[in-house]
Amino acid sequence: MLKTAAFIGAFLLFATPTFGAGKSVKAGVVADVTGGAAVYGVSQKNAYVLAMDDMKSGIINTGGTTLTFDVGDNATDPNQAANLFGRFTTDGSAIILGPTLSAEAFKAQPIAVRANIPVLATSNTAPGITRQGPCVFRDALSEEQVVPATVSKTYAAWKYKTAAIIYGDDNAFTKTDFTVFSDELKKRGVNIVDVETYHTKDVDFQAQLTKIKAAKPDVLVLGSLFDEATKIISQAGTLGLRVHMVGGNGLNSTKMVDAAGQGAVGAVVGAAWFIDNSYSGNKAFVARYKKAFGALPDQFAAQSYAAAQVVAQLVRSGASTPGEMCDGLRNLKIAQTVLGPIAFDANRDIRSAPVILKIVPGGFAYF
Amino acid sequence: MFGVLDILNLAHAAIFMLAAFVCLSVVLAGYPLIAGLLAAIVAAGLVGVILDRVAFAPLRRRNAGTLVPLISSIGFAMIIEAIARGIYGVNDHQFPSLVRQAPPITLGPVTFTLFDVAILAASIVLMVALAYVMRATKLGREIRAVADDRMAAALLGIDIDRTIALTFFIASALGGAAGVLAGLQYNSVVFDMGGRIELKGLAVIILGGMGSITGAVIGGFILGITETLAVAFISSSWRDAIAFGVMFLILIARPAGLLGRRALRTA
Repeated sequence: MLKTAAFIGAFLLFATPTFGAGKSVKAGVVADVTGGAAVYGVSQKNAYVLAMDDMKSGIINTGGTTLTFDVGDNATDPNQAANLFGRFTTDGSAIILGPTLSAEAFKAQPIAVRANIPVLATSNTAPGITRQGPCVFRDALSEEQVVPATVSKTYAAWKYKTAAIIYGDDNAFTKTDFTVFSDELKKRGVNIVDVETYHTKDVDFQAQLTKIKAAKPDVLVLGSLFDEATKIISQAGTLGLRVHMVGGNGLNSTKMVDAAGQGAVGAVVGAAWFIDNSYSGNKAFVARYKKAFGALPDQFAAQSYAAAQVVAQLVRSGASTPGEMCDGLRNLKIAQTVLGPIAFDANRDIRSAPVILKIVPGGFAYF
Repeated sequence: MFGVLDILNLAHAAIFMLAAFVCLSVVLAGYPLIAGLLAAIVAAGLVGVILDRVAFAPLRRRNAGTLVPLISSIGFAMIIEAIARGIYGVNDHQFPSLVRQAPPITLGPVTFTLFDVAILAASIVLMVALAYVMRATKLGREIRAVADDRMAAALLGIDIDRTIALTFFIASALGGAAGVLAGLQYNSVVFDMGGRIELKGLAVIILGGMGSITGAVIGGFILGITETLAVAFISSSWRDAIAFGVMFLILIARPAGLLGRRALRTA
């Protein structure tokens, strides 16, 4: 008798809270708040902090349910990312957002797939991310979706005949940049005169850049993440390598000019978001972000905030379990976000058009 | 230290990194670069002595061989890295632009900056100073005596512990200087920057020959030049394979290293 009562009591205590108001939903977030990719991860964390403030003040409507984003820092370590994903699959999170880098995603997201927890990636742009599982979505345009537009627009403007590529040979994202950029350049008959590689965390690129300079390319493509990109650009300037520069998502940081120097000005990047776009709520988001964190948001912040908006929309329509979240994402017709109106295609990738930008001091401008 | 005293110290790379951070902190506090460099060298030397006192001397007293102190030094390195990580975080730090700005100079096909020249000059000065200390001072003679035969040196009245401690000071101070120069050259100071040079440093000592500082210097140049030429004339993807491949071939031809003394077994 006592055992039955205790069992019923425990059951009631631990049953998912779907009885009436006071409902709460938890989303786990994994981001590189520290480490080599902190330049992206801090923006992402800020976006979720802002989103939670906006939910408190009613700017984001969750229909009375409390939605929390629990941000875990994996310090740019794929193993740590996997550990955090593991934790989020067992602590009642209904959905996991992140991690920051594609290399980390390939290690960590399968853990969520095995536990049937949906994933919404906000910054993984390598191919194959969404193929990992039927509930892995992403609101970040992949390099395959952006690079063709980047090459197309720069080719039309600069009409280059030759190109050189430098990329990191030990990272999923930078290797993707190499593959996608080479394919697009070859399609247009551009002669790739030199290809150089480096390893993540390398600091000296002068040998590679000297060789590139000797090959006299019309354009230099950087398949790089932030730390290496800033050094490559800075050392290229010192070596007197003056050439058009084009990069992938790794260059998408407003800190480029500060860290790399004037050589970064004019570099072209394909992006998923432009700070001055006039989509509903975007300018206000930029203003609130600037007020809260003393700096303008970047694409990583925008994509994370958009993900928060999408999750909030699902929560508003009643989703609270992992299964309901996955269904909600799959059946999402349209979500109004700071990226614009977005939806997911049959491959669970975001349906949206890239913007081609150029780096200017302090940020970006349309190319 | 490995080459001269057969003490394998894997905390060297951590001291290299710590010195770079000390210099960075001094410079960020508003003092001139030279003050930062000196502070870093002294700090590195002192940490080296602490390393000896804490991680090596107690094991020496118990005749622990070479493997156990090696592990001990790895532990010390982890502590230093954790401290650096705790204070400075995991991100890449940069020197203020006033310090690192140096206009490029072009002579024919070669482009370099005054900074490169300064670093080269500083390295040469330090190597010459080290060679001088080892060859022409009492301390140098004592170090070489301890390296040759510890027992005989003790019998001759040389204070072994003090000599080894001073060796640690010198080696760590030089490592610290290298750390500052490396941090300035690439404008990157980060808690795991020692890892870059650790394996290569060890390889260079073996290539140059145990017991020979000149050999280590030559080995260092060979490694650096081979790496750069590999990138320039073959492919940057094969850089590491070629550099270490060349070293491998040199060691097959000369197992004791370029200038290594072959171990003499006397009756």
